[in-house]
Amino acid sequence: MAGIGTGLLILPPALYLASPSVWKYAVKLIREELNYLKLEPAGLDEFVRDYFKTSSNNAIINLRWKTFYYLGFNKDKSNQIFELIKFYLLSTDFFIHKMDESKMVSYLGLYSPYKSSVPNPFSFVLYPPAD
Amino acid sequence: MKYDYYDLIVAGTGFSSTFFLKKYLEKNKSGKRILVLECGQLFKHAERLKVKRGEHSDFSGANDSWENKIINKNKEKLWPFTTGFGGSSNCWWGCTPRFMPSDFKTKTLFGIENDWPVTYEQLDPYYYEAEELMSISGPEETPFPRKGKYPLPPHHFSAVDKILHQKYGNQYISQPTARASRAVNGRNACMARSACDTCAVNAKFTIENSNINVYENEQIELVYGAQVYSLETVGNVAKKVNYVKDGKDFQISGEVIVLGTNPIFNSNILLNSGDKNPLTGKGFGEQLGMQVLIYLDQMNNTGGSTWVNANGYMLYDGDHRKDFASCLIEVNNAPYNIRLERGKWLNMASFRMIFEDLPLAENYITTSANKLIPEIHYKGRSDYAIKGVENMKKVLPGILSCLPVEKLKYLDPFPNEGHILGGTRMGLTAADSVVDKNMVHHQYRNVFVLGSGAFTTFTASNPTLTLAALSLFSADHSF
Repeated sequence: MAGIGTGLLILPPALYLASPSVWKYAVKLIREELNYLKLEPAGLDEFVRDYFKTSSNNAIINLRWKTFYYLGFNKDKSNQIFELIKFYLLSTDFFIHKMDESKMVSYLGLYSPYKSSVPNPFSFVLYPPAD
Repeated sequence: MKYDYYDLIVAGTGFSSTFFLKKYLEKNKSGKRILVLECGQLFKHAERLKVKRGEHSDFSGANDSWENKIINKNKEKLWPFTTGFGGSSNCWWGCTPRFMPSDFKTKTLFGIENDWPVTYEQLDPYYYEAEELMSISGPEETPFPRKGKYPLPPHHFSAVDKILHQKYGNQYISQPTARASRAVNGRNACMARSACDTCAVNAKFTIENSNINVYENEQIELVYGAQVYSLETVGNVAKKVNYVKDGKDFQISGEVIVLGTNPIFNSNILLNSGDKNPLTGKGFGEQLGMQVLIYLDQMNNTGGSTWVNANGYMLYDGDHRKDFASCLIEVNNAPYNIRLERGKWLNMASFRMIFEDLPLAENYITTSANKLIPEIHYKGRSDYAIKGVENMKKVLPGILSCLPVEKLKYLDPFPNEGHILGGTRMGLTAADSVVDKNMVHHQYRNVFVLGSGAFTTFTASNPTLTLAALSLFSADHSF
């Protein structure tokens, strides 16, 4: 199917027929990339559901994420994986806790500058001026 | 309409019209009949927020998107703008540096294009006035001549900003901005959410939240849904304004006509009116912008308090402008560019490099078969701008040598910078321009053609403050 990543990829038919739900691939990708963090499991599942909510019925999207997982794509190889993980971290309390790896990372709701508690991890809201 | 003849007919309710009317009303306190024809509808900020939050708004379909308003012959180049009350004040991002004095004299100083017929010194008092009206937040020391404090204090520097300001002084400053650093005049303080087109906390100045109180004036009759498409002229005088409302054509007579739509539609109106000036619609464009990501070594770039936290002028002015474009550095404070390497998440700075470009004749606006819909023809960038980019890539590492830089990553240029410039440039005579220094059409002496379409050249600096100051200047010198 054309349009996946930057080129045409052919998957073995057996892989496609035997694959679990696409959301599970996204969860696995995030867990692998952020294996050093404690990711609250239910929140991670909920994030992925929210993230793919508008595209869960899209066959191209589903196949794309299966491909990423089985071909060992990571954030450095795929901009879409990068965006997924970035969105996940921005959607959690990770930056509110100042990136403390000892704390559980909890999902707060899909990142939005119009809804998120602290939508800019760089900002003075979290790092006020000394004076 | 209340009347069949008006002293002043204005097309548009954006920055250029509003600031023009502000000054006009100061000088004409009563007894005038003023008609304002706004193409779109009022789409209030509160309703825009609903749409941004994914909620329903009864008003979300009130105004057409920009793609439906023009015929864009080059789909790779985008020209976003907003129709409706307040015009593009509803989508701008609130950056308000002044131009540099040299920006008005590029021919005299650098042999490039033409000088503006107005100087920085002449515009200076109107810059102050526009800054007061918008309650601009900014620093005490600036690279452009300015005395005294801005209406509001500057935003807070980030860690990177502090180092660069220490090295470069007033060549690297907190950006003067209409994103308020403190709550002011009914607006909140900026929370650095970095989605400024529709500000989540209403910190950014818009015509709607301005409290300028122009459209509440009893002399003004404001009509929505009325798109001006041409003027009826007799000799060198515009007698009537032609517009469409609710699918029907109308005409209204006026003494003085003010075109305050954006440059695309101002050009369209003039061309539909039979304007034969060869420069009308020509030399249209905007700056070139590209992002550079600065990966930092063990340094969190935190603490900035607004979207564009600083402006760098290290590549802006100098003799190099004889050969290649000036560049303004916009320092962005946004969540998009976090790193995903362990321990380095906030070790990132993001600079937007904005290059001046030239008003090339091959980039132009024409009419189409539909009198309401102009065509945009855009061939591309000038070599002058491209050379500016090449130079920037050579010298930027040295400029940033005071920072712990791991690497620089240059992204592709953006398809738009959010500014629409040129098409009705100002100058001394009709031989090299469309309007004079007061933005009065050289031929139709009762027609003002306002806004950034009147810019003689496309400086690297953001246009809104200057076009607002020009409107104040124009009205002050004309009435």
